[in-house]
Amino acid sequence: MQPEIKPAGDSALLISFGEAIDEGVNLRVHAIAKAIEKASPEWLVEVVPAYSSLLVIYDPLKAGYNEIETSVKAFLNAELEEFQGRLIEVPVVYGGEYGPDIEFVAKYNGLTVDEVIEIHSRPIYRVYFLGFLPGFAYLGGMDERIATPRLEKPRLKVPAGSVGIAGKQTGWYAIESPAGWRIIGRTPLRLFNPSKEQPTLVQPGDRVKFVPIDEEEFEKLYRAEWGRGDD
Amino acid sequence: MIELLKVPSLLTVQDSGRGGYRKLGVPVSGYMDDYSARIANYLVGNPENAPLLEFLPMGPTLRFNASAVFAVAGDVEVRLNGVPVEPWTSYWAKRGDVLEVGALRSGLYGYIAFAGGIKCEPLLGSCSTYAKAGLGRPLKAGDVLNLGYAILTGRDGKRLPEGLWPDYSAQEITVSVVLGPDLEHFTEEGVNTFLSEAYTVTPESDRMGYRLDGKTIEHSEKGAGIVTSPLVPGSVQVPANGKPIVMMRDAQTTGGYAKIGVVISAHLHRLAQLRPGFRVRFKEVTVEEARKELLRKEKTLEAIKLFLEGRLRAYRIKAEEKSFIALAGKV
Repeated sequence: MQPEIKPAGDSALLISFGEAIDEGVNLRVHAIAKAIEKASPEWLVEVVPAYSSLLVIYDPLKAGYNEIETSVKAFLNAELEEFQGRLIEVPVVYGGEYGPDIEFVAKYNGLTVDEVIEIHSRPIYRVYFLGFLPGFAYLGGMDERIATPRLEKPRLKVPAGSVGIAGKQTGWYAIESPAGWRIIGRTPLRLFNPSKEQPTLVQPGDRVKFVPIDEEEFEKLYRAEWGRGDD
Repeated sequence: MIELLKVPSLLTVQDSGRGGYRKLGVPVSGYMDDYSARIANYLVGNPENAPLLEFLPMGPTLRFNASAVFAVAGDVEVRLNGVPVEPWTSYWAKRGDVLEVGALRSGLYGYIAFAGGIKCEPLLGSCSTYAKAGLGRPLKAGDVLNLGYAILTGRDGKRLPEGLWPDYSAQEITVSVVLGPDLEHFTEEGVNTFLSEAYTVTPESDRMGYRLDGKTIEHSEKGAGIVTSPLVPGSVQVPANGKPIVMMRDAQTTGGYAKIGVVISAHLHRLAQLRPGFRVRFKEVTVEEARKELLRKEKTLEAIKLFLEGRLRAYRIKAEEKSFIALAGKV
């Protein structure tokens, strides 16, 4: 399938494979992104991959759109690498004050809370991309039995580490932020740390396994991860 | 070293922005009005991306604990030890001097640059404040800022001729947009509405996005939602209520609402300076025209920089009853 290429303003070009949320398409998006980054043409600012599209951000002072479009076409058939990232275990305390929407998710899908936890923590998810806010991970591979629509009115804020469900997607809020996803739990891990050169816990292509923990363990891990706890 | 005595409004350190981390979800950030901020840096002899103070819309009061050269960019009252001095001009302050910067009379964002730049520990390659993710924080009274090393001689007394001061007083402006990339999510009528109506900046606007109010933009049968895709500052998202939101420097890196167009790089700073209640109209241009406009803006800024370095002269020119300043010739 050949993607569509079009301007996204005067400093970016969008390469789009349509509306699919599909592992094969996503692998291709990352392969093209990597190939462009590797070639590092002098007009390149940065590449931002998403589910089925990637944005090539360029410096319009260095080259015009047509030149960039021509040059980008050379990367469209970049070889797919079966990129197997690291497997990262992410402890989550489900429900209660940490996951206020888990009962809704259960009721909406005709399940018990324990079943929701079991279904959510069983798969190994793949990180499709990071976006929206720093460290926010879009994970692929959630079981459709727990798919739940977004909140009608987003919460003004949820704490860093909140894990949620939106439709068929699951993912986490790495920093405190407004949130429209159904929050089912929270991890004590620090998912985004700006003082590190590699500031996010995971990168696109990594695999994630959620591991249910209890509140006591959450507190222990939280203190270890965040220092004093109120920092 | 400078000490902040009073901070009456939002005051942050910004530079030209944070590159290379958008694929991890980290916004580019940086000064909202690159035009004013870059001139402020030129006035004190800094590179254009040196960290400086951005205030909205009221300036701070600060004390110099060591001598330094500074310049204020914005339509604003400036006092040094109680004596009025001019914006768009660089001055030498000595130890103990107090600088008071008032409220902007027009525009929204003002800048204070110091020779040598504000010294900071860059986080992910930039000193730009993006507090949500712990990348810096808004400044408060009592904060002390160190300045980078600068050779002070000859850097004060630079002045931008008044005819070149940007004018952000208009209650309605027109900015250019490149249409797309999600045009198929809008009806032809929706696109016509977007290009023919005036939209009002609402108070729910910030460094992340400007929410606009005005005539509802009609979506096609594909609706307002898209599969989450990446976006740049300037992108105009239209959620289901049909009211456009222009993403600004702290824009999220990806979004799920259809984008009807993207404000061109050369004009985004003018939109940034538009106050709540003021109006904007959108005019369609091609991506090639947008690039030409950006090259013009860069040429103007380059000429201003050369003038402030004493390498061009300013001339007052009268043509067709109009008088304006032009920069030309080698000194």
